[in-house]
This record gives sequence, C-alpha cells and structure tokens, in this order.
Amino acid sequence: MKRLVSAGLLVAAAAGAACAGAGGAAAGGGEAAYTVPRTPDGHPDLQGFWTNTTYTPLERPAGITKAFYSQAEAAEIEKKAAAVEGEQTEPGTAADVHYDFTQFQLDRSQGGVASNVRTAMIVDPPDGRLPPLTEEGTRRSAARAEARKRAGGQYDAIQNMALSVRCILMDRAGPPMLPGAYNNNYQIIQTRDHVMILVEMIHDARIIPLDGRPAVDSRVQQWMGSSRGRWEGDTLVVETTNFTPKTAFRGSTERMRLVERFTRTAEDTIEYRFTVEDASMWTRPWTAELPMKKTIGPLFEHACHEGNYGAANILAGVRADEKRAAAR
Amino acid sequence: MRVLRVVPWILCLVPCALLSAHHSFPTEFDVSKPLTLKGTLVKWEMINPHSWFHVEVKGPEGRAVVWMVEGGSPNQLIRLGVTKNTVAPGTALVIDGYRARDGSNKIVGRNITLSDGKRLFMGGSAPGQPAQ
Repeated sequence: MKRLVSAGLLVAAAAGAACAGAGGAAAGGGEAAYTVPRTPDGHPDLQGFWTNTTYTPLERPAGITKAFYSQAEAAEIEKKAAAVEGEQTEPGTAADVHYDFTQFQLDRSQGGVASNVRTAMIVDPPDGRLPPLTEEGTRRSAARAEARKRAGGQYDAIQNMALSVRCILMDRAGPPMLPGAYNNNYQIIQTRDHVMILVEMIHDARIIPLDGRPAVDSRVQQWMGSSRGRWEGDTLVVETTNFTPKTAFRGSTERMRLVERFTRTAEDTIEYRFTVEDASMWTRPWTAELPMKKTIGPLFEHACHEGNYGAANILAGVRADEKRAAAR
Repeated sequence: MRVLRVVPWILCLVPCALLSAHHSFPTEFDVSKPLTLKGTLVKWEMINPHSWFHVEVKGPEGRAVVWMVEGGSPNQLIRLGVTKNTVAPGTALVIDGYRARDGSNKIVGRNITLSDGKRLFMGGSAPGQPAQ
C-alpha cells in the first residue's frame, strides 16, 4: 500500500518534535541542528503541503495520567487503532450502514498519519482536559441544548444539521484546524504581506494579512473569524477574533480569541499550537498542540455543497419515516 | 498492564471515527433493508463530499433500472492515481448495501466488488490503478 507519509519514520520524528515542544512554545531550533529554510523576506518557509491526520484525541482519555507515550507505546497504539479502523462492521447494525472507509483509502492508516507520542492534543491544562466551564458557560451550554430540543431532531430540518453536513464549515478549517477522519490536507503559501492556508476540506482558503492592519470591526462576525498574522522570531503567530456564536467550537462564543502558532521544527514537520481564550465559556485559557507533517500535493477540489446529495437524501429519509409513522 | 492503559483510548476510536463521518448514513438508508445489486456501471460521479456510482441493474422482467450507489470521498483515490476513467462504464459490479429510507433507487455502497470477486479499489483491483 502506497502511503503518503512513512508511519515508521514519523513515530520517531514526531517523538522528537513533540518532546522538543513540551516545555512551551517550540520557538524553532531544538536539540537537533535543524536549519529552517527561509523565504526571500527572511522568514521561515512554511510553504508546501501538510497533513495533521492523527489518532491522538483532543482530550486525554480517562485512565491515562501521563502526557507522553513512549515511542514503542505510540507505535503499538497506532497499529491497534489502524486495525480497529480496518475492522469490518457487523451486518445489520447501524455502524454497517456506511461505505467502507478502507475501500476508498480514507482510513487514517492509509491516508498518512502524522504520528504523535502525546496522549492528548491539549497540553494546558496539564491534565490534558478542557478546563471547567464558567457559570455563564454552563448556562450557555444548557440554553444551546434546550434550543436544539425545541428545534426538533438533528436531521428533521436542514437548519438543524451540523455545519459540516450542510457543507458550510468543517473542523479541518476551524480555526483552530483540527483533523477529522480523512482529507486532512493543507497547502501553505507565503508572500511578504500574507499567508494563505488552503484547507482541502471544504476548500476554504484562510487568507491572513501580515501587514499589521487593524482587526475588523467587532460587529463583523464570520464563520472562520477574522485573522491577523505576525512573526514572533521564527514562529508565525495568527490571532483570530470576530467569530460567530454559530460555530461554537467546543461550545465557544463569539468572544473567543484564538492564537495559533506555526513553527517549523524539522524538514517534514510544522508544530501547530493553539490557545483558546473565551472567558464566557471556560474558567481559563487552554492550549493544544499537534504536528503537521509534510505530504504530497496538490490538494484536490472538495466542492462539498455542489455534490451534497446526502443532505437532501437525509431529509427525504426523515420525511418518509414521518409518513410511515403517521400512517400507523 | 500496557494493554489496560491502551484500552480506554482504543474504545474512543470507533465513536470518534463515526463522529468524523460527513453525515448520518442510518438516517439516509434503512438498516432493515439490506440489498445486493448486480449490474454494470453507467457512470461514476467522482464528487465530494461523497462519490456516487450509477449502476444499471436488469429487473426480473428484463427492464433496466439505474440505481445510485453512495461511496466515499474520491480525493484519496485521486492521490493514488485513480481517475474518473479508471472504472470504465460497462464494468460489471456487485454492490452490497442498504436501500434509501424513502424507497428510491439509491443504496449506500457498503461493499463494491468486481465480477472476479475482488473488492473495488482494494489492493490495486481497479483496472488501470497503479499497484499499491
């Protein structure tokens, strides 16, 4: 099986990179004598094709108390995880009502995993878990749940469906940019004044000015917020505000402030670290880190909305179920 | 001991993978209506978020009916060299799946097999697909 990135090599590479970044923001360098390539403007060259496909969960699983696996443990976990993904589902079960990920080479082991020895993406709080909600956050979560209940079932109406089902926004774009099961591919292009991050799913281009322009008016709210970038040493720092509450990243509000840090730590690695601040939701900021690994290009079109027969089919299925129920 | 540490993490995998799926297949297709179709490919819509195979199936009275079969995002296959011409119209296919809840001629392609029994796209089985 042709793989886009070599899992074996990546375990070792990610182990080194992850450990290098464990003590704080990885500000380039590290123990290995890696010389970062530079653009004509003198900044680190982050350009190319990258993937953040991972088996590492956002939050540390219950029962795991350490921040890192050994390389052997990480390799074993990835092997088992790949086997679990490759298992055939039981006929006649809801899980079996799906095309086979492996048949379309969409399972993570075939797509190319950016291996990671971390037990969770969240590095702060140190327990690897999201911080507790504020009182307001608890109220907001309850209000959201109540609103969802009032709206009916998740698939009863197009407005009730998740943004991803409606091809509006997917977790790969975020921001923050978190991987899903497949197509977790990115292309970065730099100019003197801008960085562009093309996200394969769902073909969103994050165009980030680096010229120091002010943030947009606070009344402007956008699906992906509004981003401004700057260089801090050899790290690209991107601050994003102006979110809409409709995105609600892990329950976030429109007041979320996101700071992403991109540091090239090896020829095949960008360490991607982000901090979420939303005092309306969480009792403290929280930070996560995951590697982006070099992959092959180009990115392919993911014209989600145009081909989204699924959303209409789901509605047709729900209406048919309702008709049957009414006839009983 | 190591295995015990691994278990909770592994348990998270399957639900996590399902959550990552683009949408609810059991809402679109009926688990109580499994179906096997044998026919020939008319066209493959190599599109996102999910691809669709159009397959002509001869009914009991010889009348041809075209079924739409839902498959996965083609992007990874494209990376491996598969094109829309890789599976030529006229290719005989056997599809196991579940029928649409609304009774239309659509099924989710749980498994797609070529006439020689090989699973489509698996192990370089598609005609013209580069060896993997």
